[in-house]
Amino acid sequence: MAIPYEFAYEKPQNLEMAVKLLGKYGKKARLLAGGTDLANQMKQGFRVPGIIIDIKGIHEMEEIKMDGNELHIGSLATFNDLLSSRLIKENVNILHEAAGLVASNGVRNRATMVGNICSAVACMDSATPLMVHEAVIHTLSTRGGNSYRIQDWFVDNRKTAIQDDEIVTHVSIPLPAARYAGAYQKLMRYSGEDLSQANVSVLMLGEKQFSVAFGSVGPIPKRSLKIEHLLNEEGISEGSISRAKNMIDSVIAPITDVRATKEYRMHMSKVMFERALLAARERYNKPRVFFK
Amino acid sequence: MDAFQYIGKSVVKVDGREKVSGAALFTEDIEFGSDLLYAEVVEGSHAHAMINSIDISEAMKVPEVLSIVTGKDFPYNFGLYMNDRYIFAQDRIRFFGEQIAVVIARTPQAAKKAAQLVRVNYTPLPKVLNPLDAIAAGAEIIHPDLGQYAHVPWFFPEAGTNIAHHRKIRKGEVDKGFEDADYILEDTYEVPRYSHCAIEYHAAVAKYDHSGRLTVWASSQSPNTQRNLFAKALAPLGIRHNDIRVIAPHVGGGFGSKAGVTMEIMAAAIAIKVQGHPVKIMWNREREFYNTYQRLGVVAKLKIGVKKDGTITALKHDLYWDAGAYVEYAANVVNAVGLSAIGPYNIRNVSIDSYCIYTNLPPGGPYRGFGYSEFLFGLESHITRIASHLGIDAVEMRKKNMIKEGDLTAYGAHMNPNGLSEAITKVAKEIQWNKKDRSSDPNLAVGKGFALFWKAPAMPPNASSSCFLKFNEDASINLLVSGVDIGQGFLTVMAQIAAEILTVPTSKIRTENPDTDRNPYEWQTVASHVTWGCGNAVRNAAIDARDQIFSLVSRSKFLPIEDLFLEDEKVKCKTQPSFELRLRDFIIQGIQMGDGTFRGGPIIGRGIFMPEFTSTNADPDTSQGGHPNVHYTVGAAAVTIQIDKQTGRMNILKVVEAVDVGKAINPDLIKGQIIGGLLQGISTVLYEEMKFDHRGKMLNPNFTDYKIPTALDIPDEIVPIIIEVNQPDGPFGARGMGEHPMIPVAPMIANAIEDALGIRIKSMPITAEKLCLEILKTNPKTPQ
Repeated sequence: MAIPYEFAYEKPQNLEMAVKLLGKYGKKARLLAGGTDLANQMKQGFRVPGIIIDIKGIHEMEEIKMDGNELHIGSLATFNDLLSSRLIKENVNILHEAAGLVASNGVRNRATMVGNICSAVACMDSATPLMVHEAVIHTLSTRGGNSYRIQDWFVDNRKTAIQDDEIVTHVSIPLPAARYAGAYQKLMRYSGEDLSQANVSVLMLGEKQFSVAFGSVGPIPKRSLKIEHLLNEEGISEGSISRAKNMIDSVIAPITDVRATKEYRMHMSKVMFERALLAARERYNKPRVFFK
Repeated sequence: MDAFQYIGKSVVKVDGREKVSGAALFTEDIEFGSDLLYAEVVEGSHAHAMINSIDISEAMKVPEVLSIVTGKDFPYNFGLYMNDRYIFAQDRIRFFGEQIAVVIARTPQAAKKAAQLVRVNYTPLPKVLNPLDAIAAGAEIIHPDLGQYAHVPWFFPEAGTNIAHHRKIRKGEVDKGFEDADYILEDTYEVPRYSHCAIEYHAAVAKYDHSGRLTVWASSQSPNTQRNLFAKALAPLGIRHNDIRVIAPHVGGGFGSKAGVTMEIMAAAIAIKVQGHPVKIMWNREREFYNTYQRLGVVAKLKIGVKKDGTITALKHDLYWDAGAYVEYAANVVNAVGLSAIGPYNIRNVSIDSYCIYTNLPPGGPYRGFGYSEFLFGLESHITRIASHLGIDAVEMRKKNMIKEGDLTAYGAHMNPNGLSEAITKVAKEIQWNKKDRSSDPNLAVGKGFALFWKAPAMPPNASSSCFLKFNEDASINLLVSGVDIGQGFLTVMAQIAAEILTVPTSKIRTENPDTDRNPYEWQTVASHVTWGCGNAVRNAAIDARDQIFSLVSRSKFLPIEDLFLEDEKVKCKTQPSFELRLRDFIIQGIQMGDGTFRGGPIIGRGIFMPEFTSTNADPDTSQGGHPNVHYTVGAAAVTIQIDKQTGRMNILKVVEAVDVGKAINPDLIKGQIIGGLLQGISTVLYEEMKFDHRGKMLNPNFTDYKIPTALDIPDEIVPIIIEVNQPDGPFGARGMGEHPMIPVAPMIANAIEDALGIRIKSMPITAEKLCLEILKTNPKTPQ
């Protein structure tokens, strides 16, 4: 499908140049990393940027690495990079699990995790895993470096706290010192590639320490301190699961749209919460599996 | 043990190497050089509105725009069975997205930009978005000119209403049949619209050259029918059939969507405005959904009466079809179902009313199964429900009532030879029908479902096929036919038929997709009829060539014709074992006589086929008296599903399907059709769902929100079973089976769900969400 209008295109070879260009054009510019959202939006005319700044040439942003006790995920790391990364699989299995359910193999080859949380569409997969891990988003602009806690990042559907002149360089995930395990559950209409109609991430950090977040059931992903508090008080039992599930009614606010009804989203958020919680516990209690 | 060398063998597809290697060209792949122009469609933004004016002034200012064509330029209507369609909207639009104009430009970008600048002024009209509203008193009339449209003689439009056709069957004494019944089940079933989702988009390129020759390259199932409809629509411009050449390159899937004529007519028409230039119209995925054909939706009211022993005493089936804004093709779907909505059963007392109803939704049209999936959803659900009520096994109930050879159909013709009984027995055995499966996980429920199916080709009574068979010097063959290989393996099967008769291996037979200048006539590649119809034409052409060969050898070698036979590309003689003559030694050059002269010349076979026993002459009030269908292909299918009671997700553990194909010319290709058809059927039950908003605009014209299965969604086990009860008038006994595998899927799954959960779903699709919400409704205490 043709893009029926003109736009300028720049491909900076380093971060400094990219930051300068973005500083110059601000709102008129769109950054191109994977382009899996942007290209579609341009073809359909949802977005008409004056200039595309293609950041794919800034190779330093491709890195996935350990930085002290933090995991560093560069802005150009694709979902398939995440899937094939031993660091991700061993340290943030929940993100690994979510990455494997993003779109199709072809899209995962291009689409980046950072692009996913910058687009901030309610159906994104990466948000809840990053929320339960309390990730931090790092940006750079001509004004200098900046960082956002993930819970402050999402403002509304398709809207984040980022400023027009800022470029996300990477996301960092602080890794807990003690044992932990997580699980991701996603509601899909079939087993093939699908946008999440609801998703749940549960991270278990101790017998009575949990982190829980719900996605695609409101304009922005939602971490629930209320449910965490209950689980942190009571641990996992039939009673606590049942009480926690009842709380979900007041935690999330799903809508009915072309993909699912609010009733099914609500029901499935409860089912998936329980399944994620039990899966997280099972993994927590099992020795961790490493690549050979 | 059969004596066949090529028939019944899973010969490798003759077009396989071309497709696998990337050599195959599809319409979009063909290069047309720098003269090529691009067309972009201006679409209506109301489901029903009068067009007051079209302002193209701003659009014409876009650089590189050559022309903008509107309905004023082509005030012609057309259609396959009824001329109710327009090349471009005239005074009104009747569905959201209908074509109003086309911009022709040197680049696709300019065309698209200009199309967005065309301003259309409308007066909206009341719209009708479902068939029952459309036939209610006082409903807005969508086609005030219905009474003026030309149509085939077997349609009965009701002018002044939204009923474009009404097929009526009356057989036996229905009221008495119900009086005699011990039990009557009456219910309503709903099946919504579906989309074909062929992976290749519709595409057409047309060129009207300075000599007045109109060539159209189109992704098409129906090149001859397209040429015919183009010629008829454009006749006022002085264009004749032989001026038009339609070339069908490889096709990336059809499923009915590329039958008849849809967007291609725009290419043919607008080419005339830019004489000398090829002009291309490419559809995109969105338009594939809302401006080709859609499968019709239906509301089916079904009433069946039975005796205590399960014998069916009467059937009343009223079908209200949502046929869309134009029904030039769809009305025949309605007609076909009207004739066959008793299913594969022997029922004495029958009343069927099948109504083709205009709505302001996209045009309905042919889709694999041609209405049979839709009515069988209700019928086969009903049979199982009645069996349960009577305490009779659902398979036994079917065996008791199934139609047999010689029984009368609803319109009074005799049923053809068939292997329905064998199919039922084999499927029941393979699915272990008598064994109840259970899951050890209390959250998982397992159930089995069974369904029968039948389908006849829906064709005009004189739908015909033809074939030219040309030998080359080395005794290789060019087999010219005008059926289209849409993935089903048609070209391979035609090569096998010729190979068998002429003993030339399929590797030496080149059969390609058609070009109407080069290849002889074929009605259309639809109705699962080409193996049968065109196969007969190929057989006749091969026999014709063989007769010429024997005649030539007989008169030049002085051997009796009746002693000659072919073997391994040689002519041999039963009475003279030492005699053999290689085809390559005379097939073009002829046979030299003792005096140096030659006999013979290039051998060219010619074969035609038209069924000469079909007729649509019948009483319009009863449909008795004619013979509208050539024959039925029948079969049975069963499924084992496992349901997650918390989520509604269904996992198909095993699916078995038996089809009586008459004779399997290529068993692997048949298995491919069975597997593919089952998947397409499963998809319509579990995943696919068209959604329209209150304006009649489709909300999900994309694969993001209209789901078709991926490799991850294939059932755990699929068992195709081939039954072979020969079709007496088929090539080597074959009959068609391409559409059939998807037909029984919906009721089969609905029956399995009831078996597993005791919940009966009476509307499609049956998504996980829908089932889950039903489970919650039925049993609110189900653990969440």
